[in-house]
Amino acid sequence: MVGYVCKYTPYLVIESFGEKAERIEPEVNNYEIANSLTHSNICSYAKLVLEDIIRREIDKVILTNCCDSIRRLYDILETLSFIRFLHIIDLPRKRDQRGRLLFKNEIIRLINRYEDFSGKGFDRIKFRSLLNSMTSSVERRYKDLNIVLIGSRCKDSLIKSVEESGGSILYNLTCTGSKPQYRPIGLTEDPIEAYANILLDSYPCIRMDDIKERLDIITGEKRIDGVIYHTVKFCDLYSYEYADIKDKINIPLLKVETDYTDTSEGQMRTRIQAFIEALRGRNNREKEFKNAKKKLIVAGIDSGSTSTNVVILDSDRKILGYSILPTGAKSLESAYKALEEALKMAKINIEDLSYIVATGYGRISISFANLEVTEITCHAKGAFFLNREIRTVIDIGGQDSKIIKIDRDGNVIDFVMNDKCSAGTGRFLENMSRVLEIPVERMGEESLDWKEDLEISSMCTVFAESEVISLIAKNKDRRDILHALNKSIVRRIVSFIERIEGESRYMMTGGVAKNIGVVRCLEERLGEKVIVPDEPQIVGALGSALIGLERLEG
Amino acid sequence: MERVIRAYSSLIKKNLDKPELVKFLIRLGLEVAKLWVDYTGDKYVPESLRYLNSICFKFILEPLREPENSGFVNLLAPTEILHSMDIYPLFIEAYSSFTSGFYCEDILIDKATTEGISDTLCSYHKAFLGALEFSILPRLKFALTSSILCDGNSNTFRYIAKRYEIPYLIIDIPYEYSEESVSYVVSQLKEMISMIEAATQKRFDIDRLREIIRLENESKKYLRLYLEELKSHTMPNSISLEMYKLFVTHPYIGREETSKFFKLLAEDITKYPNSGYRVFWVHIMPYFSYPIQRYLNFNEDFNLIGCDLNFDYLEEMDERRPLEAIARKLILNVNNGSFKRKIDNIKKLIVDLRIDGVIHFCQWGCKQSFGGFMLLKKEIEKMGIPFLAIDGDAVDRRNNPEEQINTRLSAFFELLEQREKRW
Ligand code: SF4
Ligand code: SF4
Ligand code: SF4
Repeated sequence: MVGYVCKYTPYLVIESFGEKAERIEPEVNNYEIANSLTHSNICSYAKLVLEDIIRREIDKVILTNCCDSIRRLYDILETLSFIRFLHIIDLPRKRDQRGRLLFKNEIIRLINRYEDFSGKGFDRIKFRSLLNSMTSSVERRYKDLNIVLIGSRCKDSLIKSVEESGGSILYNLTCTGSKPQYRPIGLTEDPIEAYANILLDSYPCIRMDDIKERLDIITGEKRIDGVIYHTVKFCDLYSYEYADIKDKINIPLLKVETDYTDTSEGQMRTRIQAFIEALRGRNNREKEFKNAKKKLIVAGIDSGSTSTNVVILDSDRKILGYSILPTGAKSLESAYKALEEALKMAKINIEDLSYIVATGYGRISISFANLEVTEITCHAKGAFFLNREIRTVIDIGGQDSKIIKIDRDGNVIDFVMNDKCSAGTGRFLENMSRVLEIPVERMGEESLDWKEDLEISSMCTVFAESEVISLIAKNKDRRDILHALNKSIVRRIVSFIERIEGESRYMMTGGVAKNIGVVRCLEERLGEKVIVPDEPQIVGALGSALIGLERLEG
Repeated sequence: MERVIRAYSSLIKKNLDKPELVKFLIRLGLEVAKLWVDYTGDKYVPESLRYLNSICFKFILEPLREPENSGFVNLLAPTEILHSMDIYPLFIEAYSSFTSGFYCEDILIDKATTEGISDTLCSYHKAFLGALEFSILPRLKFALTSSILCDGNSNTFRYIAKRYEIPYLIIDIPYEYSEESVSYVVSQLKEMISMIEAATQKRFDIDRLREIIRLENESKKYLRLYLEELKSHTMPNSISLEMYKLFVTHPYIGREETSKFFKLLAEDITKYPNSGYRVFWVHIMPYFSYPIQRYLNFNEDFNLIGCDLNFDYLEEMDERRPLEAIARKLILNVNNGSFKRKIDNIKKLIVDLRIDGVIHFCQWGCKQSFGGFMLLKKEIEKMGIPFLAIDGDAVDRRNNPEEQINTRLSAFFELLEQREKRW
């Protein structure tokens, strides 16, 4: 088998030699070997390809000089002794006459190299008939929720997530999603030249010079309900196009970034689901609950990565009970425990519940729930219920944070989530509390007494920690360091708020909202008071319970 | 001094909603800086390097003073053609560097990422894009880049051109040298000439270009001379000055001032003895980093001998066929094509310049360089030369963990000291 990565690879040439060609879609989930061969910040996909090639001992590889990461991948592969055939194709950026000629010559160069390597001769006739056997008719089926997927390459799981959430992919315009338009090659035509043209004329990826036609589909096609823009972590190329179009197209747009492993999948699924929910109201599978009771009482469970929170609500929208428990190793178990506690407080039994709605990171594992809804929708719902003036919800939880913008009717208009790291989250504060030797609960209160205005400039947890350590070494007052930390968290929050153009009034929820120091700093930056509910950690659970009630009431 | 710059910086930051004012402030800042450099020169710094400092300010100011006669370029754009038409290049890496000199890079970078640009992109590009988003960049006549060095270029330039609605050209440089690849590049150079002619209403004259190439060859001649002397002399140097050399080894190499500088440099070097350990730097430098300054600026014990980027193409060019010569220069640049070219070049420089230790800077977001640093490390260690890699950011101050850099550098220099000098 010959492995390749890029859609411009003339892989049919290889197949005409009777060799199988396969696009490398790494299934590995870590970069252990790759990280010892290169820097950890090269493109995640390229790193996984390296890992995969080594683990599977793929000994024949063809690359294109697509981008910096792939070019370095080639250089690294060159030093691996088990690789028997390694080739890089010089892909022109221009599709004019000279670019085409260059590319045709590149195909010939590949043929020559493969002839030398395999000891077999290239069979033009066989190649032509192989080309002619390729079909490229694509059937487009319009469904009620038509999504365009665009950006850098993505794993099948992303496509599956869209489909499972009820969307259907009308066009997959990611780097490897589209197929070239094959056409019959006549006997008088040079099949190699024809193949070069077919490949170069396929839907241009971002690397091409002239990319005007990339967006034609999005702007020309009338029946697109939403666009999902995918980027790969540490691939920066596609972010330019995203930045360029995000305010220009008037179709709802969601940006998703993945690192091509399964670890980012949970978050990705949540975002896609929330996006599709926002596109078409709710689109969730519903289950019948065995014990439907007359008196309407519902429970909302928010299964977060750090805490599991439950709210029990009656039909008058009165909170009968609630609980906040740390999430253990298994989300399902934690959800049971938290539910039991809330039931105890409400003085009722589980049989008294008419409906259970789950939300949060672990919501899919809560099999006893009737409905699952994303935390984006739930937070918006809960916050709006508590105060109808709220237009922006700032939820800073243990490991993730999100900013949600809502309209005057409480509908989600836009949202951002941190998808990269724990900077500016509760986890970050917890780390710092260890470094500063102060319990998390006291951090806020103590920071209010600051005197000297210190700066912690880095937003990256690792760098920030080393800044804190050096401030401690300089004997700086703990209160001042805490204040500086608060400011750095707020800086990050504010940049998120700006990204979605958040509007007044603001509500802060999640564990970090209990830190009065952060809230004060945020108020200072926003120039207005930020509303913090009495129990900021249960807003998501409250929202999900409210959604449950609405369901039952029809 | 630092207080003044900080105050100036906050003035810029406060007025970002008034782009015209900020444009003026930035120009003013650079004009003042130039006067400062011209009149307060440090006697310890060799004359040639003081001159270098001054012409760099001149070069960066030209396009700001005359935007209607200038274009945006990257480090490896064929600026010879611009010089031959008396058009001023603004090279974006330099502009971004100056924004951190003014302590403004943070707000620009944050702006770019708020607009959706990836935060893992190299900060040279992010800072520049931030300035674009704030509209504080002058609107020059065109944007011109080559595809080599890094991916950012083609995308950043396309972005600028779209935002400012100016003509744009990317010169696609093939991976390997061949006759066809030369003619592919030459045809693009011709396209570039037509684009510039149309954008500036100026005429291109091939004989003027020949003169520029002649000047470039003269500069290179002195540069090779300097390199020869560098084997047995060490000259006071600093990380900023080494970075300034990028101006004259790249976009401004065809200028008269440049050949004057190299002449002075080749003379200056002979005046200094040979002292201390010889340290070679790979890739760019965070000139503002205190720990690095402390170890490498004007240090007779550990001499900063040079940076690989300044020695990426030293060949004489054929002035009779100037366009082909430029095409050849771009394709054969050691930063184009396989990483092996770069490694071999560095290995050769290590031997030629009798280097004792190599420091590689992993610039935040620069995949093209850090993607291969392990390969380089292996090769250099094979030669028995100590190698240190530092992670940081030459534009965004926030990405430089000073304590860490300090510890690693001290350990590295301790290690050097414990070794016999090699050459
Ligand atoms: S971005 Fe373009 S060149 Fe790169 S792998 Fe994808 S299709 Fe190929
Ligand atoms: S995802 Fe981006 S960086 Fe990675 S291989 Fe593709 S184009 Fe290159
Ligand atoms: S540091 Fe690297 S990524 Fe940044 S501009 Fe230079 S070559 Fe490009």
